[in-house]
Amino acid sequence: MTVIKLALRGIRASIGRLILTTIAILAGVGFVSGAFILADSLESTFGSIFEEASASVDARVGVAELEFGEDVRTIPDTLVDELLALPEVGEARPDITIEESFTPFVALDENGEEVVPQGPPIITFSWDGGDGGGLTLIEGSPSMGLEQTVIDSGYATALGASAGDVFTFNTPDGQRDFEIAGIVEFEVTGGAYFVLFDFESAQTLYDKEGVVDGISLSRASGVTTEDMIAAVAEAIPEDAEVIDQAALIEEQTAQFEQVISILRNVLLVFAAIAVFVSLFIIYNTFAILVAQRLQQIGMLRAIGATRRQVRIWVLVEAVLVGVIGSILGIFAGGGVAFLIKQAFQASGGFPETDTVLLARTIYVAVAVGVIATIVSALIPAIRASRVSPMSAIRPERKSVSIASGRVIVGAVMLAAGAVLMGLGLAGKTGATTIAGVDLSTGVVIGLEFGLGAVLMFIGVFLFSVLFAGPVVDVIGKPQVLGGAMLALGLAMITIIFTVGDGFPDSLFQTDIEEGVEVSNFSIGALFGWFGFVLKMGVALLSAIVGASILTSKLRGGSRSGIGGGAGSVEGHLARRNAARSPVRTAATATVLTIGIALVSTVSVVGESLKASFASTLDRSIQADLFIYDEAGGEFSSDLANQMESVDGLSSISRFRFNEIRLGEDDVQDIAAFNAETGTELIDFGITDGSVDGVAAGNGVLVFQDEATERGLSVGDTVSVEFPDLESEDLVVSGIFEDNSVLNSPWVIDLAVYERHIEFTDDAFVGASIADGADPAAVKADVLAITDTFASVTTQDNQEFIDSQEGQVDSLISLINYLLGFALFVAFIGVINTIVLSVVERTQEIGLLRAVGTTQQQIRGMVRWEAVIICLFGALLGIALGVLFGWAAVSAIPDDVISDIAIPYESVIFTILVAALAGVAAAVIPAYIAAKRNVLEAIATAS
Amino acid sequence: MTNAPAPLAVEAAAHSIGAQKVYGSGDTEVHALRDVTVQFPKGKFTSIMGPSGSGKSTLMQCMAGLDRLTGGEAYVGDAALSSLSDKQLTQLRRDKIGFIFQAYNLIPTLNAEENITLPMSLAGSKPDQEWLQQVVTATGLADRMGHRPNELSGGQQQRVAVARALASRPDIIFGDEPTGNLDSKTGAEILDFMRTAVDSLGQTIVMVTHDPVSASYSDKVLFLADGQIVDEMANPTTDAVYDKIRSLGD
Repeated sequence: MTVIKLALRGIRASIGRLILTTIAILAGVGFVSGAFILADSLESTFGSIFEEASASVDARVGVAELEFGEDVRTIPDTLVDELLALPEVGEARPDITIEESFTPFVALDENGEEVVPQGPPIITFSWDGGDGGGLTLIEGSPSMGLEQTVIDSGYATALGASAGDVFTFNTPDGQRDFEIAGIVEFEVTGGAYFVLFDFESAQTLYDKEGVVDGISLSRASGVTTEDMIAAVAEAIPEDAEVIDQAALIEEQTAQFEQVISILRNVLLVFAAIAVFVSLFIIYNTFAILVAQRLQQIGMLRAIGATRRQVRIWVLVEAVLVGVIGSILGIFAGGGVAFLIKQAFQASGGFPETDTVLLARTIYVAVAVGVIATIVSALIPAIRASRVSPMSAIRPERKSVSIASGRVIVGAVMLAAGAVLMGLGLAGKTGATTIAGVDLSTGVVIGLEFGLGAVLMFIGVFLFSVLFAGPVVDVIGKPQVLGGAMLALGLAMITIIFTVGDGFPDSLFQTDIEEGVEVSNFSIGALFGWFGFVLKMGVALLSAIVGASILTSKLRGGSRSGIGGGAGSVEGHLARRNAARSPVRTAATATVLTIGIALVSTVSVVGESLKASFASTLDRSIQADLFIYDEAGGEFSSDLANQMESVDGLSSISRFRFNEIRLGEDDVQDIAAFNAETGTELIDFGITDGSVDGVAAGNGVLVFQDEATERGLSVGDTVSVEFPDLESEDLVVSGIFEDNSVLNSPWVIDLAVYERHIEFTDDAFVGASIADGADPAAVKADVLAITDTFASVTTQDNQEFIDSQEGQVDSLISLINYLLGFALFVAFIGVINTIVLSVVERTQEIGLLRAVGTTQQQIRGMVRWEAVIICLFGALLGIALGVLFGWAAVSAIPDDVISDIAIPYESVIFTILVAALAGVAAAVIPAYIAAKRNVLEAIATAS
Repeated sequence: MTNAPAPLAVEAAAHSIGAQKVYGSGDTEVHALRDVTVQFPKGKFTSIMGPSGSGKSTLMQCMAGLDRLTGGEAYVGDAALSSLSDKQLTQLRRDKIGFIFQAYNLIPTLNAEENITLPMSLAGSKPDQEWLQQVVTATGLADRMGHRPNELSGGQQQRVAVARALASRPDIIFGDEPTGNLDSKTGAEILDFMRTAVDSLGQTIVMVTHDPVSASYSDKVLFLADGQIVDEMANPTTDAVYDKIRSLGD
């Protein structure tokens, strides 16, 4: 077909103009396919590893799923012999496995410091010494007895251990020495370290005498697996269940698949954002390409091309760009997946994976790329088909006037988006079912917010043409532009050194190890310095540029320094250019607006979360010292026992958590603590009654929401069933309002808890330092105890709050890294539109050059237009971001976030970065504009 | 004026009856064409002349189906243009009408031959090879058919554009100042070529021009002023046209 040939030739001719658009598609599609490739590769690798690990196992007996209460179901180890006695069973190998929350065995180095993996846990289980199942003995022999252990090669390297060495370990029962009997190599470690014992020793060490966690079975020869399973099922007690190999593999893979699918979905959400941003870029590109080809389109129409043919011409060109971008995007996705895998592998113990490219990935990637281009090119294509054949003779210059329809549609979409968000805000919509999928209230609110945001972005895109002209006209004034950049740059520096962190910590931190001062290089400090230099750099550069613009204005347009030009004639032209085509300016700016709005939303929510955290924790935590397991697990009650003997501690309380049942399927979290001392350490905000009844015996504190819901008041009696399935009547002795620390609606005394729950490990311990005692000395004494317990950390009040805020910060930066990708796409989009605008204005630029404008001035003109447009986009984005942030904060329950806080530092940083990004985005277009041959530029008709 | 078609002396390739074109309304109303009835006979080369704003371009554009009249009727062959939908009008332009524009208006990404056959390609039909050969030979560019427009001179590009208009063997060809962008020597080449197309290939051409030299190549010149036909001249010469224009200016 002729139009396809035209489209092909058109692409070849305008390849330069389409490169950046292709990159935009490539980036979005790359993110999508990268997510799939990574997830598929991981899934296939783990699947095959588990298959291999279970190759010699026909079936497995395990503990049946627990329904309520823990540690109730066990399998006696006598079952092993009973099963072996069955004629159908060939082999039966018992094992002990440790739940993740259990405190592991951690080896100490020569300085007595715990050697732990970065991030992943230490995993321990019993090993019968046989190879296969994903591990191989590479040194020494399997461990025998209570004095020996086998560790994996990763841990051996970290410890510098070889077979025969003896190391001291922190264990659940204090410190013990173990000989490293052997070293094994695992196919997959995921960065974790392994500490293995023989079965009998594991029973003793893990306090599991007489029980097994599982029994791996192989069938006797001549027996089918089905027959064996049937026979075993008859023989095992009620608490046990038997599953076959396939179910076993599925069970094991399912856990990983859950993690992998979360990873994939998170990446896909950010991919969707990048694709959404690229929609606007593609739209801009084709809108401009169509505008540039008015005469050509008119001629085609005049000599007989139908509207449909013109439409198809534009769409085919879009589809071709989409296909090319998508195919390149799949390769880019492979690269993304490869890089993430390399990063995992560098962190240690990650399996070698093949890169799995499923046909589905290709279909999805191409579909995303092609649909994105078609959707975005549709409006330009329709507009092209409406070009009158008269344009062949007299190209209709696009009128500068703004279509009122556009503004109205934009306003309607803005309003609709706001209403949707309002619905989410009011929380009026509950759980619902859409297209057969059950959605929880949270998901519905999330959808309302997401859809609302999308509508509002499109609304802003359409509506902002109304005010883009006047706003950029003001922003572009040299006094405003220069003054704002100077003022914001200085404000930023002031904030960094006043409310901000100031200079980061020294790169080398001096620690005292065994009485000797040692300088250790700190990675954390390096990141701190990186952030500091970046922020200071942006602030200083902006201040200099701002000052330079102001002085060049005062000096009447001389062009020295980075800011040169903005205050002179070319700065004036730039401002007029940005203001005269509000449609183009708005379209370009919107691309940035989306990215910046999302970044701002995240930082507003994050800042509010931190502020709420700080205010509630500050109020509720009275304890001077906080001891908890970094991995979120529990630790032996020995720790608190030993702390009792530390001088200078006025009060100590242990905290434990479990579940209770108030009725059928009415399972609730419960916390237990030493009621006599606990309220001195944590202020629950008891509004009615007191803690006395709890300390006295069978009293319970109830969270006010729970009390209201159940109509409970002080003095009422509640019947509670504990995990041992015994019930007890508890008396409500107090109602409390602050649930932020314990996050448990029911609180009882430890004595009541211990009557029903044998498990004595503590979840955390709080302590107060007595008046008059030396806090540093007391803390040192406590540390001496807690250091002997694996992965337990001790923090004072401020350290605890800081570490909680640190987690919020890490999450915000992770999200920002991912959103950075959308910003990168947006940046490409800005370059793209400015390049196209410059090409479109060739004749005009030629005219300016002909009347004596220098190349430098042309570059200045393009640069300042880019800066003005970027600033416009950034301001819109921040306004929307703060709005979205406010909406999100209002929608999140008050016990999570109560106050809204605006992160001024990052808002200013965003504005300044956007302005500097404008300068950077203009480099290529400015070069293209300035190098144009004057005569040719003038001769270029239309 | 009568509403019935006037009896035709010669069979007309296109004609108009009481053609009117009004732009704007109220105070800003502009009458570009006032009641123009005209015939463009088959196998003839007609020029339309007149001062700026006389309506000469408007007349051509409305006759060619590029623009629509606000009153009266324009016919190409038997087809009354006002009764045609946009789609039918497009087909009419494609199949029955050829265009020569002032700014060559070639597709820069297609070579000379592809540009010439573009109207047929758009229609999805095969060009008549024998006719095409004749047209290509007449352009004198047979050896340059594989070149892109930017590899051809202005005159050569315009010859390709004329060939494109001829290629589908349309009932009538409209030219809008086809030599306006060319120097007089190259312009003369194009006009010779157009003359040849009428004399040897039997084509019908209607051309808008303001240049008496160009007009002298045609069989008849129509003079427009204020949206009306004020005079016509058969077998014009350059001097006679000059004199006529001067007298109209008075």
